[in-house]
Amino acid sequence: MTRGVPLPVPALARVAPRLALGRHFSDMQAAMRVNRIVLALCALGVLVFLCLPVLIVVPMSFSSATSLHFPPEGFSMRWYGQIFGDPRWVRAMQTSLVLALLSSTLALVLGGFAAYGLVRGRFYGRMAIQSNFVAPMIIPSVVTAVALYFALARIGMLGSFAGLLLGHTLLGVPYVVLIMSVAIRSFDSRIEQVAFTLGASWFTMFRRVLVPNLLPSTAAAWIFAFVTSFDEVVITAFIGGTHETVPKRMFNDLVMQVNPSITAIATLLIAVSVGLMALAAMLVRRSRATAGQDAA
Amino acid sequence: MSRMTPSAWLVLPLLLLMAVGFNLPLLAMLGQSFVGAAGLTLTHFREVFEASAYLKVMASTFRIALITAAVCVVLGYPLAYWLRRLSPRWQMVALALVVVPFWISILVRTYAWIVVLGNAGIVNRGLMALGLIEVPLAFLYNELGVVIGTVNVLLPFLVLPLFAAMIKIDERLLRAAETLGASPFAVFWRVFFPLSLPALAAGAVLVFILTLGFFITPAVLGGGRVPMVASMLDLFVNQMPNWELASAISAVLLVVTIALFVLYLRLTRAQETT
Repeated sequence: MTRGVPLPVPALARVAPRLALGRHFSDMQAAMRVNRIVLALCALGVLVFLCLPVLIVVPMSFSSATSLHFPPEGFSMRWYGQIFGDPRWVRAMQTSLVLALLSSTLALVLGGFAAYGLVRGRFYGRMAIQSNFVAPMIIPSVVTAVALYFALARIGMLGSFAGLLLGHTLLGVPYVVLIMSVAIRSFDSRIEQVAFTLGASWFTMFRRVLVPNLLPSTAAAWIFAFVTSFDEVVITAFIGGTHETVPKRMFNDLVMQVNPSITAIATLLIAVSVGLMALAAMLVRRSRATAGQDAA
Repeated sequence: MSRMTPSAWLVLPLLLLMAVGFNLPLLAMLGQSFVGAAGLTLTHFREVFEASAYLKVMASTFRIALITAAVCVVLGYPLAYWLRRLSPRWQMVALALVVVPFWISILVRTYAWIVVLGNAGIVNRGLMALGLIEVPLAFLYNELGVVIGTVNVLLPFLVLPLFAAMIKIDERLLRAAETLGASPFAVFWRVFFPLSLPALAAGAVLVFILTLGFFITPAVLGGGRVPMVASMLDLFVNQMPNWELASAISAVLLVVTIALFVLYLRLTRAQETT
């Protein structure tokens, strides 16, 4: 398997003799090598830049010092102790968890069925409806937040948990619809038809054929919606009222002052996102592998 | 097949929820931006475009979005190009390093820059220890800080699709150019780069769109001193309520975003046809 541009050395070796580059050949080869090293250094620099936030925050959360100095001065779990000892942070964690669980489940159920309808159904305006479902991902969340703020304020539901649940569900829907559409499209519809031919009702087919086959993608879609809700700040800040989630509390604290215990919260958020997303990536890969087997 | 027809109805529950909970609020907000004391009016839009304060905020948002997109192009292109030529194993590792930050809360990634770039942060203390500067440089609570943080958050949006487009470029085209006697320099600039251009442009447009409506990073790293459209909305909704004005500003942001997104879709389609 050849990969990458075969620009530098082998390419030159082929071209150079024909062009009778002679003595210049080694100069050019050296220049190409320098180019390659410069490129690699630039790329590595950008990678470090991308990962820097994580590389800094995680070690700092285990620091024993009260100042935000890096590298951290000693190892301690005091910031974690402080977070878990603060009833307001604990309540924020509970709110975040409940909200993420409910909104992701709602998004999964509604989005999953909708994706099935979009893929298998034949009806007018399918593309428009799909764009509508994906829109919350494209429209800036601050615009959605403002619109929801006005609408909820008019019906007296601003600051209600139901309003917050609606906002978080809307943000999870695009991920569910996109992931589930791909999964359903790659699942052979003839298998469903066989189930019908054998006398299964739609519900039986759904329970015994679709659900077991689409399980990995379904779990991945649910995780995406969960993490989206768990990390959400903008909508929660606008319409949450007195409901505080972990990111909203963190955001409010950050705007006012920088406190080392935030590093512990940040590390917890990193752990939740990375852990769940790694699981989702694994599930998607597995479902792709099985889809590949089916095709073969 | 008759039993297959109900599948279309499965779209309905979500469609209803979105119509009531998403489309209706957005339309009501758009409507509100046209309603004045005496019926329909364009006063609110006139206010947005005539008051120099709002124009200044919009201009600065556009400028920051443009700078962010440009910096993402400059940093992202070499990274994607380098990723393309790695061995499969290292490619996996490097891609993971791009994807993992992408998953982590924007708030967390923004927060870290306070620690890195603050007056007592790593960068300033390092520069002072080296004797390069005497007083800490102001990285935070200005446009520079906002751009650094925003580029950091949005870079994967450019790198990942660009990398995906680069590995699809047909190797044989490059080899054909070499065989015809093109120098490596010419192969890159006259064959490879033009082929990767639609994906690069699409990525830049995407970063630009996302920066326009960005709220968290500018609010935290700008410290209220770098007003952008999203923070202006926060002001007119949460602090000194002016719903009509907030609606008009949102409407402008919405229309610009959708127009640019259509451009983005065109660019990604152009890439599929090449």
